[in-house]
Amino acid sequence: MKEKLSAFHATILIYMTQVGVFSFSLPRMLAQHFGTNGWLAIFILAPFVFLNTAIIAVVYRLSKGKSVLETIEKSISKIVLFPIYLCLCCFWVTIGCLAAKEYIFIFQIIAFPSTNPMIFMFIFCVLAYLLINKGIYNIAKVSTVFYIITVWILFLFFFYYHDFKWTRLTPFIFQGGNPDKIKGFFDVYPAFLGYELTILLFPYADKKTHLMRSAFISSGLATIVYAFIALVSFGFFSLGYLKVLQYPILVLFAYVHLPLIERIENLLYGFLLFTTMITTVMNSWAAVEVGKRMFPKLKNAVLSFLIILFGYVISFIPEVLMEARRWLDYAAHIETGLAFGFPIALILLLLIQRSRGELQP
Amino acid sequence: MSFIKQLWKAMLKDESKSQEAIVTPYTENNERPSLQHTLEQFDDCADLVHRAYPKLQVDIVYFSPMMDMDKLTRDVLTPLLKAGEDEVSDLLEQSQFSKNEDSKQIIKGILSGQAAIFYRQSAYLVDVFGPESRAVTQSETETVITGPHDAFTERAGTNLALIRSRIRSSHLKVIRLSVGEVTKTDVFILYIEGIANMDYVHEAISRIKAIEMDAVYDTSMLIQCIEDSPKSVFPQFITSERPDAIASKLVSGRVVGLCDGSPSAFSAPTSVFEFFSSSDDYYQRWMVGTGIRLLRFVAFIITVAFTALYVSVTTYHYEMIPENLLIPLTESRSRVPFPPLYEALLMETTIELLREAGARLPTKIGQTIGIVGGIVIGQAAVQAGLTSNILIIAVAISAISSFVIPSYAMSGSIRIIRFGIIVLAGIWGNFGIAIGFTAIIIHLGGVLSLGTSYLTPIAPFKLRDWKDTFIRAPFFILDERPTQTKTPNRIRQKPRR
Repeated sequence: MKEKLSAFHATILIYMTQVGVFSFSLPRMLAQHFGTNGWLAIFILAPFVFLNTAIIAVVYRLSKGKSVLETIEKSISKIVLFPIYLCLCCFWVTIGCLAAKEYIFIFQIIAFPSTNPMIFMFIFCVLAYLLINKGIYNIAKVSTVFYIITVWILFLFFFYYHDFKWTRLTPFIFQGGNPDKIKGFFDVYPAFLGYELTILLFPYADKKTHLMRSAFISSGLATIVYAFIALVSFGFFSLGYLKVLQYPILVLFAYVHLPLIERIENLLYGFLLFTTMITTVMNSWAAVEVGKRMFPKLKNAVLSFLIILFGYVISFIPEVLMEARRWLDYAAHIETGLAFGFPIALILLLLIQRSRGELQP
Repeated sequence: MSFIKQLWKAMLKDESKSQEAIVTPYTENNERPSLQHTLEQFDDCADLVHRAYPKLQVDIVYFSPMMDMDKLTRDVLTPLLKAGEDEVSDLLEQSQFSKNEDSKQIIKGILSGQAAIFYRQSAYLVDVFGPESRAVTQSETETVITGPHDAFTERAGTNLALIRSRIRSSHLKVIRLSVGEVTKTDVFILYIEGIANMDYVHEAISRIKAIEMDAVYDTSMLIQCIEDSPKSVFPQFITSERPDAIASKLVSGRVVGLCDGSPSAFSAPTSVFEFFSSSDDYYQRWMVGTGIRLLRFVAFIITVAFTALYVSVTTYHYEMIPENLLIPLTESRSRVPFPPLYEALLMETTIELLREAGARLPTKIGQTIGIVGGIVIGQAAVQAGLTSNILIIAVAISAISSFVIPSYAMSGSIRIIRFGIIVLAGIWGNFGIAIGFTAIIIHLGGVLSLGTSYLTPIAPFKLRDWKDTFIRAPFFILDERPTQTKTPNRIRQKPRR
């Protein structure tokens, strides 16, 4: 890998990994769990994201930008690591493909309800495979183009200016939601996930990348975007309505009427394929990175193919949207634990390595 | 078992291969030039002329169709005939006669239009090349409203002169190469010393030197041999027939190539967005230039997506059409017996047939074809119930938009892509269109031009290049050369006070 990621590309890449299928149902989840002015919960969740990013930054500092997988292999035998790697590899590709499957299920609410979702999934996996094969630098390039193509959608939210009522926001905060706020926290937090994959980007960054700064900026960007769409949703829909809407963002899109075209939600939802694609690709890429450590002699193209094939097979399991959602929720909870646990474990390992003098000055 | 072994082997990384290809150096067998050997080489060449002057012990060999006969008479024949026996050697000492010790060089010289003079044991070459050629005329494929109208011809010498007359700098360097095992076509690589990045110059030269093909006739053919991704549908080198456009590429730090026998030059590195700019943009006021440039990007989206969107909406997403428009559309569609996909493909293919027929026929008949196609077939197709009015409008707008793109090569690529997107829209509606766009972007992400990203200035993200990519900013703002060229001399002009 000669070319290193630039700061801008790294920021966009992490942001695009974060924003995905979770954002379509985010306002509903905020309404259900936090009640009135649930959009403010974004600002309560965001510090935890930054805290986690800071923990990853400590790993980056301690490991001096070296690959974390190499760091682990210094201290732990490959035989011990093999099952861990295998689990991580399978888990990451599963989470990526489940996000894709959910995207396809949601699309089938709008169009093609009777088509076998696995046909769409197949096409999705083919495209994901083609992108993974090009390497992280090209994934970052493509994600930048995807970002530029999709970023204008945010401006559509100004279309609701006349129907936005500040009165719907009420002066009361977090009333009428789920009393178990901790559960709410863990259910909504996965909307921010994606930044934790930064830990695998270390070898592809140099000083100019300012990788951790990029991770902070992307999380900040995701916070602003989420807060904005949640605010619009809370001002546009009543709380009761928002709680029962499965995908409020799609309903918002459906409201847009232009002289020549209306009900543009399926067109816009098509554009959101780009963001989901990057989420899937980055998770699968993470799986490939781990896979490389297990099978170093295997060609990258073959490894990527096998990993995507595994993901495709796994995505056969959830047969309906709710099932995919439930699976993804479980996976997201594990990923949240991994996002905090993995870097903390690495810090401990690095400190042990440093005390033994194994780390190069 | 052996199959499984082979499959396993194919899946593993091949570490036995060396990273660098081993190149055996080509060594020339230097043979002293002789008249007999030269004539043997050109045996059965009816256009070869051999003039012998036994008294002077001089023999002249050349290809008559490649000669400027006036120049030959004036510079060679007359002075030789006027000279006495003992004056010939003094005459041949003049600088226009270059002595050559290698028979291969003599043969190469004759093939490239020089006259070979054999005097006693020595051989000389004199450049009297001047075949009949087309005069400098206006470009037919890259017409502009304002700005210079002259265009390249098929003679590389003329083309070099057209560039040199625009860049009067000793820093403009020209490297001569030969391509084609049989044709030995001259290829010239041009760059401005101190502005062009020498890595790109060397890269272009090494790629051209690596071509092992029997014949190269045109620049478009040459660039296909040296592209980074030859399988890609997109052209990775920009070609132009306009000397002013090529001069501007040189000044911006790009490497330019001319191929003898071709009326176009190539420049590299380039990005996909550069294909949407025209030299016209710089000759107009900046606002007009910017507007036109933006219009081309809109035209690109219309070309690729408009017919596809029609197919998608009328096949799967009728809910997207406003009520007022729905009634005329359904009425228009009601008489058509085909699904929208077939209807669209039929009309798109008809448009492509008309375009191709118009391009092959003489201009006057070409116009007739346009009328027949546009009015007769279009109107008749609607009346016969083969297609709907609205599709005719969609297809016509798509076709017109494709011609707005200044580069013919890029326009052709986009038209091909359009068919793919239409088919995807016919199968999966809007999701198909999104799939198509995703595939194109993923493909573009991997395409390189002379080793640089084809998506510059979006990826890598270079905001300062946007002012001369998506818009055409006023000249006082265009103070830097494009970053893609990695020029050692970035500054174009002093900042205005």
